[in-house]
Amino acid sequence: MKANALQVLVVEDNEGDVRLLREMLSCERPGEFELTHLSRLDEAEAHLAKGGTDIILLDMGLPDGSGMDTVRRTHAAASGVPIIVLTGLDDEASAAEAMREGAQDYVIKGQIESRALPRALRHAIERFHMLGESDRMRSRQMQLKDEFFSHVSHELRSPLTVIRQFVSILADGLAGDLNPEQAQYLEVILRNVRQLQSMVNDLFEVTGIGAGKLRIELESASVSEAVAHTVNSLQGAAKAKGITLSSDMRSDLPAVYADPMRLRQALVILVDNAVKFTPANGTVKIHARVLGEDANRIVLEVSDSGCGITPEMSEKIFERLFQAQDPNAAGRSGLGLGLYICKELVTRQGGQIRVESAPGQGAVFSITLPVFSLRNLLAPAFGKKGHAQSPFTLVVTEMGSPVGWRSCEMRAEQRRTIGQLLQSCLYYDSDVLLPNMDITGQEDLFFIAATTDQVGGEAICKRIRENLDEHIHQARLTLSTSYRVLNTIKPRTSEPLEEFRENMAAEIQAAMQQESSLRMVKSEQ
Amino acid sequence: MSNKKILIVDDDPDIRLGMQVRLRANDYDPFFAGDAVSALIAAEKHKPDLVVLDLGLPGDDGFVVMQRFKQTPTVADIPIIVVSARDVRMAQARAIEAGAKAFLGKPFDDVELLALIRATTGEPARSGKIFSA
Repeated sequence: MKANALQVLVVEDNEGDVRLLREMLSCERPGEFELTHLSRLDEAEAHLAKGGTDIILLDMGLPDGSGMDTVRRTHAAASGVPIIVLTGLDDEASAAEAMREGAQDYVIKGQIESRALPRALRHAIERFHMLGESDRMRSRQMQLKDEFFSHVSHELRSPLTVIRQFVSILADGLAGDLNPEQAQYLEVILRNVRQLQSMVNDLFEVTGIGAGKLRIELESASVSEAVAHTVNSLQGAAKAKGITLSSDMRSDLPAVYADPMRLRQALVILVDNAVKFTPANGTVKIHARVLGEDANRIVLEVSDSGCGITPEMSEKIFERLFQAQDPNAAGRSGLGLGLYICKELVTRQGGQIRVESAPGQGAVFSITLPVFSLRNLLAPAFGKKGHAQSPFTLVVTEMGSPVGWRSCEMRAEQRRTIGQLLQSCLYYDSDVLLPNMDITGQEDLFFIAATTDQVGGEAICKRIRENLDEHIHQARLTLSTSYRVLNTIKPRTSEPLEEFRENMAAEIQAAMQQESSLRMVKSEQ
Repeated sequence: MSNKKILIVDDDPDIRLGMQVRLRANDYDPFFAGDAVSALIAAEKHKPDLVVLDLGLPGDDGFVVMQRFKQTPTVADIPIIVVSARDVRMAQARAIEAGAKAFLGKPFDDVELLALIRATTGEPARSGKIFSA
């Protein structure tokens, strides 16, 4: 291999064409190009894997590949090497398609001028590197922007802390008595500081979304808890505007499969928004119900008696940085990030969000989420009929903290870590670690895995204890494991698979409830 | 009952002043350090009942401070509350893992700070607000 020579890989099964190409490339300056010839795609893939190729001349009809497939495979084998496609006279359409698949250029066989080929090669290489460079610059810029916002929101928090601290010191009379007017003005400052704070938090959340750092953990989430939390935290703001904030739902509404924290967050954004755009003495209502046409979904509606939105606006309202332009609305509109964050939160939980409205008639924002269903979750375990033949084992792992969990967040963090560790103890696709089924008021963390593992419950408990030992020791937790083998409901030959899954899920649900109530009794003692 | 001594470790003089006013008004005896080294010296000398620690400090950060405290027998058992402007979800778990008793995000509400201090030093809640961990 000569130094500085451009390494050209020709993948072409027609010897005559290869000879022609070789002549064209050698006639200009000898030594500028060094040509390697292969006639099969698999040989080319092996050659490219070794590296060192500067450009590929690719025929689209090879003994072991044809058409766009050759381009795709070559591009996949060496995405950092430009490709020039060799095509026939009547095949410019597929040449264009090849360029969409990642080829840099094409040349038509039999129509190449000898002078033109070396130039085409050099240009393709140059263009390819320029494109790569601009891609790198763009992604670097995006990254810099996100880092900048993240830094800004962090830096803004320190002065905000000081302002908030001293305003509350003054408001509480720690620096002397206040007259009512002064107290009122300080209240205004405090309210605005809180507003600024929530904007800073939005900014932080958005940079997290941009960087793919939004953490979502799906489990069985109570809708009524989310609604109650939202009403509680925004009742004050609504009252201050004379707005009636109420909720309406059946008490037996099933749980949804969602991240409880993210669900609350999304709902708070919607209600906060509704309160913001509803004039004094208006109403804001949260209504949760099972979706009429699909009993497997729950819809949460936030309706307001505000100014409403136009159809054009409702298309753009969930976009990042969208600002509602309402000439009648007094005051500030915020950063325009809330609904964008809300949409990201909802869609990343597998839900949908939409808005229905007409100007002057208020707006209804609705979030649709799947109902939590053990049956769906266990679907992989019951995927094949064969699985049903072996007994099902429920393995219960219980974690306690002798010193108590320091905070709810700490407990949640432990739940995550232990969940991951337990997941690694399950070896088979059909084994499922059931999601958080926490019972309110229960102190210990408890996990249930449903498994068809042939080694049996005793062995799995041992595996769990071994895998978790180090973490338990470090985090100073206590661990207990137990298991129970469920009676297998053998599917009757006439029973449809669907029905069998339903029965099995019911069986497991009942067993879990039994486990839970056992634990409830234990924790009450 | 003697006033509880609280060591505030924060490099921002404004925040130190704010905490001083608030804590004194609530019958605590606050004293201060602005970096990791002086935090350890001050703690060894005055034996506080509690440390309120910022994570972002000049030089070694709050995590290093916690590590040093844990390695120094005379101060290893002093409870630490971490206060930080960093992202709650990222910083909180790490702080607790490093041995902090509690985490409070900046900007915080003074009521929350006082409640945490009371809970951490094992005092009964004085105001109507009940702290629940």
